[in-house]
Amino acid sequence: MKAPLIIVGVIVAAALLVPPLLPWGYDVIDWNAVRAEPLTGTHLLGTDNVGRDLLARTLVGTRVTLGVALAAALVSLVIGVAWGAIAGWVGGKTDELMMRIVDALYALPFMFVVILLMVVFGRSILLVFIGIGAVEWLTMARVVRGQVLQLKQRPFIIAAEAAGAPARAIMTGHLLPNVAGVAIAYLLLTVPQVVMVESFLSFLGLGVQEPLTSLGIMIKEGADDMDIAPFALLLPGGILVTLLVCLTLAGEKLRDRFAG
Amino acid sequence: MITLILRRLGTAIPTLFVVIFLSFLLMRLAPGGPFDGERPLDPATRAALTAAYGLDLPLHEQFLRYIGNLAQGDFGPSLVYRDFTVTALVAKGLPISLTLGGLALILALALGIALGLWAAVRAGGSVDRTVSIVTTILTALPSFVTAPLLVLLFGLTLGWLPVSGWNEGAPLNLILPVIALALPVAGAVAKLTRAGLATALSEDHVRTARARGLSPARVLLRHALRPAIVPVASYIGPAAAGLLTGAVVIETVFALPGLGRYFVQGALNRDYPLVLGVVTLYAALIILFNLFADLIYGWLDPRVRG
Repeated sequence: MKAPLIIVGVIVAAALLVPPLLPWGYDVIDWNAVRAEPLTGTHLLGTDNVGRDLLARTLVGTRVTLGVALAAALVSLVIGVAWGAIAGWVGGKTDELMMRIVDALYALPFMFVVILLMVVFGRSILLVFIGIGAVEWLTMARVVRGQVLQLKQRPFIIAAEAAGAPARAIMTGHLLPNVAGVAIAYLLLTVPQVVMVESFLSFLGLGVQEPLTSLGIMIKEGADDMDIAPFALLLPGGILVTLLVCLTLAGEKLRDRFAG
Repeated sequence: MITLILRRLGTAIPTLFVVIFLSFLLMRLAPGGPFDGERPLDPATRAALTAAYGLDLPLHEQFLRYIGNLAQGDFGPSLVYRDFTVTALVAKGLPISLTLGGLALILALALGIALGLWAAVRAGGSVDRTVSIVTTILTALPSFVTAPLLVLLFGLTLGWLPVSGWNEGAPLNLILPVIALALPVAGAVAKLTRAGLATALSEDHVRTARARGLSPARVLLRHALRPAIVPVASYIGPAAAGLLTGAVVIETVFALPGLGRYFVQGALNRDYPLVLGVVTLYAALIILFNLFADLIYGWLDPRVRG
């Protein structure tokens, strides 16, 4: 679990710290260096088909992609934990109804619902993460509900109830702290999924909009230009795949630790 | 079996209804109307148009009308592809998407089950570890990265296969799109098969079969595989959803005139009837596949039929 997290950490640190140090901004066009090869002049990794610095663009794109992913994963965390905790705690008919809704939503074509939202309300970055977060909470809700159901049977919760602690206090004082570990593991697993959705939308032109960039947009631009300059595809593609694999591996390890 | 089908239909039909209702509602909530142009329309014309499309009716009547039309296979006119109804576009695009998705599903199942079997037979060995790493990478690789890379390698660099285009469904044109679409699903199927076999191989009936002296191959294929692929069967529903979603990207990358392509164009151009129609159709297909997966599940595992 260490190695993947270290790789993610290095990428995040580079995306946050390096861009201000570079001689070129991510949206600045260098007319003298269109499709420059890596290691030429002041462009460390070359430029794209309109002369924008590839390294700066990739780092800023990574920052946007991860920023959207984190925000969306947090939205899904809030909805999922609240939904699952209430269903598990209240139980009975309420639980059955709430979980039925989750089951029904599972059967839906998510990507298309998010795209529908984009079409109807216009394409804005805010909507990208609210939309993705609003459809990615289902697994979280199921997992948290399962945890709460188990915890409800535990002596310390029963003791707290018998001692007359109000439901709110039991919820915030006893249940949520014990659910936190699993919730964080699933949060870590949600991030790569959201990264995938965001890149998918941006690749199709439905997510993050120019002049802002993201890994999905860069992969699209690179794919359009790959017969001449394949590096513009390989760089953002490589970063995206590394992030996805590392986050998934780290999340699975963490989940197995808490589930085991 | 019939009770199982009826029970599943009991949840599937309301779900579909809710999808259609929500999509319809979203579309009506959208700012701007179809007749807002550069030049304001003369009020009489606008009123006539509004009446012709039934937009002056109360919302619930519009919805009933829409459902009624849907039931007759009429999705309404496309706003961007003039002279085409959404039904005509669906009729053109759907066969292409289904060919692509169907072939990819078959490839993913074959490849995934084979990989899973191979890993389970060599459990704990280097083959098992390699397959585990490969399947993790396969599931993490999004199709919008694999597709351009495959084109770059086999289309542009080696020149073995066509770079894009449908070409009336010529087999050579299908190879790359089908592979790119199938790979992530194949990874997931392999993981499920591997995990299912690990459980199945430790069960009593398998131990009995072994004790009776059956050959390892016969134990594996005849006694362990059937319970082991039950999770794979229930994954067919989500897999179909994944393939339909993936097809949107694949059709864009390879310039295939399938449903996903019309959908993206519709979404970029705010062609509401087209987007709504395709979402409805996709939802119906996915619900249908989930139902289908449940039936295979019931067939493989008699305990759930009750």
